[in-house]
Amino acid sequence: MALKELNFEFKAATPKTIKKEWAHLGVVGSGDMEVLLEKRRLNGAVKVKVVTPVTGFEKVWELVLAKVVKDNNLGDVYMEINDNNATPIVASMRLRQALAEASKPEREVEENA
Amino acid sequence: MLNWEKLQQLNFTDANARERAFGLVDKGSFTEFVSPRDKMSSPHLPVLGEAIEFDDGIVTGLGLLGSRPVFVISQEGKFIGGAIGEVGGAKMVKTIKLALQTYERVKKITPASYEKRLPAVIISFETGGVRLHEANAGLLAHAEVMDQIQDARGKIPIIAVIGSKVGCFGGMGFVAAATDIIVMSENGRLGLTGPEVIEQEMGKDEFDAANKALVFRTTGGKHKYIMQDCNFLVEDSVRAFRTQLKEIMNIPFPEIEKYRRIGSLQLVEEQLELVKSAVTIGPKDAQDMWKYYGNDNPQALADISPKEFLATVKRRERVI
Amino acid sequence: MGTEITKVWDSLKRDTQERLNKVKHLVKEGKVVAAEDTVALLEGVIKPGDKVNLEGNNQKQADFLAECLCKVDSNKVHDLHMVQSVLALKSHLDVFEKGIAKKLDYSFSGPQAGRLAEFVRDGKLELGAIHTYLELFGRYYADLIPRVALVVGFEADKEGNLYTGFNTEDTPVIVEATKFKQGIVIAQVNKIVDKVPRVDIPGDWVDFVIESPKPFYIEPLFTRDPALITDTQVLMAMMAIKGIYGEYEVQSMNHGIGFFTAAIELLLPTYGEELGLKGKTCSYFCLNPHPTLIPAIEKGWVKSIHCFGGELGMEEYVKARSDIFFVGPDGSLRSNRAYCQAAGHYAMDMFIGGTLQIDKYGNSSTATANRIAGFGGAPNMGCDAKGRRHSSEAWLKCGEEYGIQGDLVGKMPRGKKLVVQMQETFKEKLEPAFVEELDAEQLQKNAGLDLPPVMIYSDDLTHIITEEGIAYIHKCADMKEKMAAIRAVAGYTKIGLQADEQETKVLRQKGIVKTPADLEIDITRANRSLLAAKNIKELVEWSGGLYSPPAKFRNW
Repeated sequence: MALKELNFEFKAATPKTIKKEWAHLGVVGSGDMEVLLEKRRLNGAVKVKVVTPVTGFEKVWELVLAKVVKDNNLGDVYMEINDNNATPIVASMRLRQALAEASKPEREVEENA
Repeated sequence: MLNWEKLQQLNFTDANARERAFGLVDKGSFTEFVSPRDKMSSPHLPVLGEAIEFDDGIVTGLGLLGSRPVFVISQEGKFIGGAIGEVGGAKMVKTIKLALQTYERVKKITPASYEKRLPAVIISFETGGVRLHEANAGLLAHAEVMDQIQDARGKIPIIAVIGSKVGCFGGMGFVAAATDIIVMSENGRLGLTGPEVIEQEMGKDEFDAANKALVFRTTGGKHKYIMQDCNFLVEDSVRAFRTQLKEIMNIPFPEIEKYRRIGSLQLVEEQLELVKSAVTIGPKDAQDMWKYYGNDNPQALADISPKEFLATVKRRERVI
Repeated sequence: MGTEITKVWDSLKRDTQERLNKVKHLVKEGKVVAAEDTVALLEGVIKPGDKVNLEGNNQKQADFLAECLCKVDSNKVHDLHMVQSVLALKSHLDVFEKGIAKKLDYSFSGPQAGRLAEFVRDGKLELGAIHTYLELFGRYYADLIPRVALVVGFEADKEGNLYTGFNTEDTPVIVEATKFKQGIVIAQVNKIVDKVPRVDIPGDWVDFVIESPKPFYIEPLFTRDPALITDTQVLMAMMAIKGIYGEYEVQSMNHGIGFFTAAIELLLPTYGEELGLKGKTCSYFCLNPHPTLIPAIEKGWVKSIHCFGGELGMEEYVKARSDIFFVGPDGSLRSNRAYCQAAGHYAMDMFIGGTLQIDKYGNSSTATANRIAGFGGAPNMGCDAKGRRHSSEAWLKCGEEYGIQGDLVGKMPRGKKLVVQMQETFKEKLEPAFVEELDAEQLQKNAGLDLPPVMIYSDDLTHIITEEGIAYIHKCADMKEKMAAIRAVAGYTKIGLQADEQETKVLRQKGIVKTPADLEIDITRANRSLLAAKNIKELVEWSGGLYSPPAKFRNW
């Protein structure tokens, strides 16, 4: 049983892209996932690729992702997810955290301690 | 961007590989090599239907500790138990290679003061060893890392940091032993055969892997510290590990060799003496050795904080 | 007057005396029998067809006596009817395999649940019923009176006085039922001493005491390592504290075992304190000494805790907190499952705990298709006891909200106990927790049971908490509305996907469904950093070194 790849495309009503060029969040532990967000010109669309060992959850992924895109008016973003049995709530939380990460300034000015 | 200040306060045990890599070096100094954005994941796992990770479970990069460039390798135990595969292994090897190249350059450019800028390698272990899904590549990676460690010997220090949930077992236990200096917390565990495997092979009467207290007093940081299998014991926080690493950076390089546990005829002899003493002392439990080295109440020692422990513990005397 | 009927009115007593006479020679001194004579003792005092109680519950076990019972000659002792709280040890089923026992009445089985289902299917065991603890204890005093009870304690003296101490648990209820109906009581103890620290069971209620070769088996069943609590569990615990504990100001309650309630306990000193709830909720518990409750106790949240049983490692902590726990003159806890269950059933305003499956109507169960596990005390805690009871603010408020109150009692004011189930919509391996039909119904068919083993019925359940929100299902006017409320919190499960957006909106306006946003909970704060203790070691620190966790939980 090879890994499965699911592809989705969404369009929000008034799409807005992320602040950073890219952002990454999460660890692919059991029941968890990681997501990589990249700014891309996609005519306001959000494209998502999910790589997962789980079958039969295409519909759930579509609904979870559609909600995130809609709630955040997301556009011109390419999302790639590596999943390992994340539940919908874990997926939603990780996506929300990744978006928070992506909306921070590109690089905080930091001094050496 | 991870919040460096917050990371310092984090329990080291709870920190993931990237958080450790960021947090162990100076604020804002970390640059990742082959980051998730490069999407360099395992080519073998998808065929087997196993989940992949963009960094293949190994975070690598460069940071600073004061004036010293520090090459960091950090393993992620949550991803397939931190097992080493082809890509992750290659990242480890290449990072040590880069450290060695940097060493040559620094020496060439600033020959008079290169010691101030002497690179170091820090490996934050969290692994059970070879990733069985890609066994040959994983084994080869172990050998190549060992090879790099040998190449670095006498040139730059390689420091093992062990304090994460999975511990450091299997082939990577050998790799850790081959480094110059080992820093552990009491939550860190170091060994070759993992507790579950010992139980499986030798039976529950020999070793009960569900008995956490037994597992920790046999493989944990306090035991390794008493036995001189690790050099430093620190509290379970990112800050404590980082502080210890900064202090290690102050050790004059020629002295680093003294911290090694293997790697010379003399050291081999010391290890053989230890094996012999296991027969003469006949310990039934790790704590029998604690007692043997002069700790009258070993259980009390197990229960107290690292700070109190360090103040009262008696360790095996090093021969060298 | 007709013919005079001579009727013997003390046949039980006479029969008991006969049995005791048969084994007289085995008694060494006082009531002491040697461990090696135990099998002979059992063969002497147990007769075919007897009802035999084998003490054991989810903590302590009369394991030595259980093993000895397996060794009796099945030609002499057979067709026993076992009446016991739990079926936990291998020996508990071996006695059926060996033809010594035939029928079983019990209330909970953990690790042996799968094998039990096989035995029932293969006709090796005739199952009476799966009880709740209180119900089974009740039947010990009606139609399931043990003829012989095999119990367990820490110490005994030669006269048979028993010290059951910290783990008194079921012993008093069993011994009283057996002895006062002329039965025979045999106790295994870890040590026979000259004087017991305190008398938990008087010596004249006990016939024989045996020092077992090994201390009795005991399981630390109620210890949850905070290191394993997930962010989602933290989120749901925040919802419980704000949306239920705070909303109803519930003062007395029982916490089921599990990580959800462990998360709640560890959030009281942080999130609970921040909401200003200290003193307004969580004052009285009936509960085993959960180590995760230590931080809340230390911060002064809790006034009293009565315990069903002990918990390994909590001995010294409990001893040092006698204002909170029920502690004997000797300084150690006295647990008592029967009294604690009674308190949980009648004196508490809330039960809250986890489950495995909830059906579309709101019935829930932890049963799976091929394991006959039973539920122990949960169905007693997790129900609204019928009949009259005292009032309390939480109970009254819940009653006022009860959507069908008027249909049941007209205008008469009456409260309702809060019965709360917490469950993530998906379990591990993405198994949905909300289902069309409970596995319990399949189990009923597979094992030929009279009833599907439902743990908590929909008419008792008042609240369901999932990561999506809280459904205040008791507020619903009818089953149709209740099913919609369940769908609204069932997330992306098949049940949840049937939720109608408009319908959910109306339920939210009515306050029947509340999402984390409705409860004004900041989801980004829902992570492990809110826990008052993040691992076992921190619990030890909170206890000032008094809590001494068992080896399996010590990662140091």
